[in-house]
Amino acid sequence: MVRFLLLRFGRAALTVGLVVTFAFVVLRLSGDPALLIMSIDAPPEAIAAFRKAWGLDDPIWLQYLRYFSAIAQGELGQSMRDGRPAIQLVAERIPATLALTLPALALKLGIGIPAGIYAALHRDSLMDRVVMVTAVAGFTVPSFVLGLVLVLVFSVQLGWLPSGGHDSWRHAILPVATLGIGGAAILARFTRSAMLEVLGQSYIRTASAKGVPWAAVVRGHALPNAAIPTVTIVGFMVGSLIAGAVVVESVFSWPGVGRLLVVAVANRDLAVVQCILLLVAITMVTSNLIVDLLYGVLDPRLRGGARAGGH
Amino acid sequence: MADITSAGPLAPAATRPTPRRRQGVPLLVWFGIVWIALIILIAVTADWITPYRFTANDLRNRLSPPFHPLHWLGTDELGRDVLSRLIVSIRISLMVAFGATLISASLGTLMGFLAAHFRGWVEQVVLMLADFQAAMPFLILALSVLAFFGNALPLFIGLMGLYGWERYARISRGLAISAGAQGYAGAVRQIGASPARVYLRHILPNIASTLIVSMTLTFPEVILLESGLSFLGLGVQPPMTSLGNMVGYGREYLTRAPWIMLAPACTIVLTTLAVSLVGDWLRDRLDPTLR
Amino acid sequence: MSAAMDTPLLQARGVARRYAMRQGLLGRAVEIRAVDGITLTVERGRTLGLVGESGSGKSTAGRLALGFETPDDGDVLFNGEAVPRPRTLAWRQMRARMQMIYQDPLGALDRRLQVADQVREPLDIHRLGDAKDRDAMARALLQSVGLRADQGERYPHELSGGQRQRAVIARALATKPDLLVCDEPVSALDVSIQAQVINLLVDIQQELGLGMLFISHDLKVVRQVSHRVAVMYLGRIIEEGDADLLLASPAHPYTEALVSASPAPGRRARPRIILSGYPPNPAARPAGCAFHPRCHAVQARCRVESPVLLPLPDGRLAACHVAHDQAGHPKAVH
Repeated sequence: MVRFLLLRFGRAALTVGLVVTFAFVVLRLSGDPALLIMSIDAPPEAIAAFRKAWGLDDPIWLQYLRYFSAIAQGELGQSMRDGRPAIQLVAERIPATLALTLPALALKLGIGIPAGIYAALHRDSLMDRVVMVTAVAGFTVPSFVLGLVLVLVFSVQLGWLPSGGHDSWRHAILPVATLGIGGAAILARFTRSAMLEVLGQSYIRTASAKGVPWAAVVRGHALPNAAIPTVTIVGFMVGSLIAGAVVVESVFSWPGVGRLLVVAVANRDLAVVQCILLLVAITMVTSNLIVDLLYGVLDPRLRGGARAGGH
Repeated sequence: MADITSAGPLAPAATRPTPRRRQGVPLLVWFGIVWIALIILIAVTADWITPYRFTANDLRNRLSPPFHPLHWLGTDELGRDVLSRLIVSIRISLMVAFGATLISASLGTLMGFLAAHFRGWVEQVVLMLADFQAAMPFLILALSVLAFFGNALPLFIGLMGLYGWERYARISRGLAISAGAQGYAGAVRQIGASPARVYLRHILPNIASTLIVSMTLTFPEVILLESGLSFLGLGVQPPMTSLGNMVGYGREYLTRAPWIMLAPACTIVLTTLAVSLVGDWLRDRLDPTLR
Repeated sequence: MSAAMDTPLLQARGVARRYAMRQGLLGRAVEIRAVDGITLTVERGRTLGLVGESGSGKSTAGRLALGFETPDDGDVLFNGEAVPRPRTLAWRQMRARMQMIYQDPLGALDRRLQVADQVREPLDIHRLGDAKDRDAMARALLQSVGLRADQGERYPHELSGGQRQRAVIARALATKPDLLVCDEPVSALDVSIQAQVINLLVDIQQELGLGMLFISHDLKVVRQVSHRVAVMYLGRIIEEGDADLLLASPAHPYTEALVSASPAPGRRARPRIILSGYPPNPAARPAGCAFHPRCHAVQARCRVESPVLLPLPDGRLAACHVAHDQAGHPKAVH
């Protein structure tokens, strides 16, 4: 078990390290940071001073180490736009994003999982068909299209809800719905197929052949086993609490982390982009770690074994 | 809805097999095939079938609604013909998605073969990169690269070409290892064949159908990713146009001229739907082991 | 290849191959000695049968003989020269001289290529003959193993098991190798087909004067093809000698048990010796003689002292305290 934990923590740390390396490589490949960060018409002496101050003339491995240690100490640079620390700028936006993604997550879990289980248990029923059709739509309709269609119907045509901004809870309804509906559909489809796969296994048939009541078979055997693949996808949804709303925040002009990222990318505000990248990596890695640990609890066979990524 | 940040590791699950009849080609799949054929035809013949140049302004008919005698799908704020823009957008979006899918499949297969051939640390590095790729939301990685490098079209296609490579790498590595350990590839290697011969003449043709199915399953995600980035204004740049780009532009006129947004939005939805349907069906027919 | 005629075709000297295996996902790594120091010789134009149950290391021994794997100890000489490391150019070129026949012919053939193309492939790889003649050469090869030209135009799954194995044999013969290693070549085939394929292999071996290493768990088959036989148990050779002698009067109790389980025609059936205990597990090798937990003639000494493979008076080699005691004191016992 210790070995298992060490392995998992090691891998999590490695992933974060890879993200930092990725940021470093991209930053260095994209050109001279001095020229990128200073304005183009800065005097040559100022650029030289900047290079010296940041050690840009040092060998690349030294720069890499310095970059690593700076990030480890939480020095993530300043925003180019207003000179405030990037980390502060990002932190300010997190509550707004969570105000969308947390209710959306509740919606996904609250609708998606029961709908998926119901559809699997009542296969080929009307409800099953509805779930499947919605799930396919949930995959093929991009979030910006759904968001705009909701705006068109509920704001423009019916005038019930505001189309953008974040002044009251009513402003959050459409973005949360946009995030939640699609996710719920995907989760429902996933839960359904995980359940169907489990229900087809011989231990389920054995249990019901032994005379165990069907409800008990479902509760005792089917649900715990179907939970294993479902946990992966829920973990991914939790991991994208911060980053999962980039598009939707843009559609609804919601001042969250995602909107900040898009603006920062458009303005090439590198410090902010890098800070968000790291934040996302850490959330993702943490939730992956939790999923891995949960796996160990749910399925002892997987303890220490490689979890198949992406499945 | 399909939030493109989560499209990565979600997608294989989202397109798991659904129960279907064995015999014949289902109606929905027929729809998919016909739609894909139509879209490809439009993309190929775009230069000849656009009624106007996609940048041409018709200032007398600005924001005219669909079914206008001169502009079947209406015009936008600058009086540009929506149909012409749609046709050109289809071409650009398909080109990006095709290019990206090909790059990603080639890159992934190559990485998988390298891992299978050299094993040892090469394999560990490939698997580590694949894990990393699967763990990070691709949209965020893509946005960071765009922030640093800007977005010229070739770079953009190359960037999209990194999407999903880890799936091909996993598939090709697994199949190549099993073919080499006991199977035909090991036998051919034993005859004295060079690695190039083993991988290109024997393994590649044998795993091609699996790779193609997985390309069809990834293709819609690439379209969604491209249109999402372009919608945000960070993908294909004006004056060039793409489906996501058009939706992003049309969003400004949602109240006055919803058709500018609806035409490309419907095209995106129908195309991803069609490719997914055909992909699912192909997977069930050719390679039920793939999920 | 102008090795002196007295150099054996293939010589494995004290060859060992170890693997690290984890017991369970959390356990510590256990070293498995799949092949534990064996010495084998295959002479030109002769067949050596290698017998053993699954887990005895006989397939690993075959892979070591062909140079698929590099031994951890000892060395393998082919025509008196060391076999190069796997996957090097020299190793690839050497493939023309040594070939392998597999247990599962369907798995060994590429299901997307016509059989004739696959038989032609070694000719292309080693650039034998003119490119334009190779199709005809492939047809001749197919004919020599009893396949018609039209069968060559089929895909592997369109042929029967026996026909597929013939195709594999034709492919192996394309480069006119000196050594053929057959790993359970007929055990995946129908019993009715087995004899045909065995006869084909015997004919080919005699006609072409090949050296052959024939690996099988089936004594009945080994008896038909082998000049000499070596018996493996848990990675070691426990008895080796002339095929007729060894199979008619086995010295080692394990060989005895194997022989008693495989009655031969024209010979009075011996009482069947049923092996007790579990089949050998390379991860938990018993102390002393590895066979002692299952041996019917076990003595106190067998539990502590590992017997060495030594010649008996009749010329064969055996690794058994009891057999050597009996040979040394012919009047004792019973």
